[in-house]
Amino acid sequence: MNAPAGTFKERAHKALGDTNLKVALDRTTGNARTKRAAAVAAWPDFDEARKQSAAIKDHALDNFAYYLEQFERNALASGAKIHWARDAKEACAAVIDICRQAKAKTATRSKSMLGEEIGLPHALAEAGIRRVETDLAEHIIQLAGETPSHIIWPAAHRTREDVSRLFQQHHRDHRLLTEVEAMVASARHELRDDFFGADVGISGANYLVAETGAICTITNEGNAELTTTPPRVHIVTAGIEKIVATTEHALQLTRVLVRSATGADLTQYTTFHCGPKREGDRDGPEEFHIVLVDHGRTQMLEEMPEMLRCLRCGACLNHCVVYRKIGGHAYGGAYPGPMGSALTPVFDGLENTRDLPHACTMNGLCKAVCPVDIPLPTLLRDWRAKSFEAGYEPPGVQRALKIWTFVATRPRLYRAALAVALPLLRRLGKDGWISRLPFASAWTEARDFPTPPRQTFLAQIASGEQQ
Amino acid sequence: MNARDAIFSALRRLRPEHLLTDALDAQARELAAAMKTCLPPLEFSDLVENFTARVTADKVGATVERLADWSGLPEAVARYAETNGLEKEAALQPDPRLTALNWGGVRPAPLKPDTMLAVGAARGGIAETGSLVFHSGPDAPTLYNFEPLHHIVALEARTVVARFEDYAAAEKGQPQPRNVNFITGASGTTDIEGVLARGAHGPRRLHIVFIG
Repeated sequence: MNAPAGTFKERAHKALGDTNLKVALDRTTGNARTKRAAAVAAWPDFDEARKQSAAIKDHALDNFAYYLEQFERNALASGAKIHWARDAKEACAAVIDICRQAKAKTATRSKSMLGEEIGLPHALAEAGIRRVETDLAEHIIQLAGETPSHIIWPAAHRTREDVSRLFQQHHRDHRLLTEVEAMVASARHELRDDFFGADVGISGANYLVAETGAICTITNEGNAELTTTPPRVHIVTAGIEKIVATTEHALQLTRVLVRSATGADLTQYTTFHCGPKREGDRDGPEEFHIVLVDHGRTQMLEEMPEMLRCLRCGACLNHCVVYRKIGGHAYGGAYPGPMGSALTPVFDGLENTRDLPHACTMNGLCKAVCPVDIPLPTLLRDWRAKSFEAGYEPPGVQRALKIWTFVATRPRLYRAALAVALPLLRRLGKDGWISRLPFASAWTEARDFPTPPRQTFLAQIASGEQQ
Repeated sequence: MNARDAIFSALRRLRPEHLLTDALDAQARELAAAMKTCLPPLEFSDLVENFTARVTADKVGATVERLADWSGLPEAVARYAETNGLEKEAALQPDPRLTALNWGGVRPAPLKPDTMLAVGAARGGIAETGSLVFHSGPDAPTLYNFEPLHHIVALEARTVVARFEDYAAAEKGQPQPRNVNFITGASGTTDIEGVLARGAHGPRRLHIVFIG
């Protein structure tokens, strides 16, 4: 990823003042929440299925080396070529090398968050390879010169009016379109030649299936198959954590993934790809390459293994009160929202990204909607603790937390301090709310604080007010 | 150390292997079986009825008809073309069940990126989601499912199974095709404001003809 401009706080502040962004985010995340809720309501045992899905992913991760080696063996047997990459640089180098060997001028690409994570768009540009994004949202942001702001809807920050203007400016057909259907038709027309003229097609993978050596793509548009089938070379880039034991497990996970992402029972196109063109095939790639990327996965296996379950459905983004206000770009990484705040410190270092785990209200909605039950609030809290231990927190915060710890671990002192603080705080309150707190004006600038009750909870118990 | 060895050595250090293959297989089967106790309910016990309800639901939006046998298919295709104002010309997937038919009034045409109408024959169907299953091969090139604007697919009623798990059980241990496509409705996108629009890059319309 290219380093974003400014600090997280500056970006978030700017996003909060962007009314167009607010409209776009409200429309996209609102639609997503409504559709997911309807899909979940039609599945009484959904919550149990979430737990089973977590167990299915954990099974693959608990036997990681076994299944990854099985995948490799079966993929090689199908005629695929496997490339291993420890980090983003090695991964991009592997892709560029394959493109060069194929003498590729144009590469079509179907949306892959791993590709964004490793900075593949940038690497292709540097290598002089023309990149054509084929997912509609990726096409929109490529025209706008932007990065994705959502992992399912990369153009979630764009309204239909924005898209209409972009298409009028960039498409061969310069008519101003007002209906979404017409915009989709215009993109279909615009990208048709590139699908069939590209030298290389690049996709991601939702799963690596150990028992068959196949990789799975899940799309609604059909752009993945049109990206991977006509060109002579198909390159898959995938994080190693996409491993699952069997086709059956992959299909079972897809049930919860798709409902959590778009609210559909199944995406329009769920496709397993296994090796290159075979004898008698009329279509399909002659070369099939899979680039398997670590980029922090083995570190996560040690430090936060639950995060490796993530299916990249985006439900935690759509339900996050912070994401819904500031959108994806403010986060500054490839992945925004709760899952992004957990992942980005792994990729970009905690010191540079310590603001992200703090941008969370700990309301727990992200965990509640996660199809593989990732304890996101706990992971974010762990990052906060690590940031404190490493001394990354500002000196004022560190001092305040040390004082708090000293007082809070001494019950008599704590009660005495509260007895002094309560009447002072109550004097600041007006109509039940405190709008300015001394020494915490940065916090109260955008928030009000409820006026505390006259007595502490313990005192209320003692006096019989609370039963 | 090369990248592969570095990755495997980290994985083995963090998750030492301890189970034998048979025990792992058993565990994987148990996990799949546990999921089967909490599946989304099927609306109808009749599989074709359930398939139809799912695939014609608003959010999928395909259309469906049913014929007694294969011989009526060319006429059904001609009817579809007429109703939708298309030329009576179709790219036929080279499946023997299709090529053996007398196409009479429908002109076979080669598949092209701007093909208006293609006719396919599915390998099977999944009732729980209304999904068609295709295995790529000489009689089922992948692009027949993605290039046309209108896609008519014949599906033998007896090949519809209830669940993904039934498909997986039937295919267990079989050679893996180059492509397995599960197709659920026409191509669509919700990329602009989360609003569903059809015909993104694949077919705008999907019409399913049950046979039998």
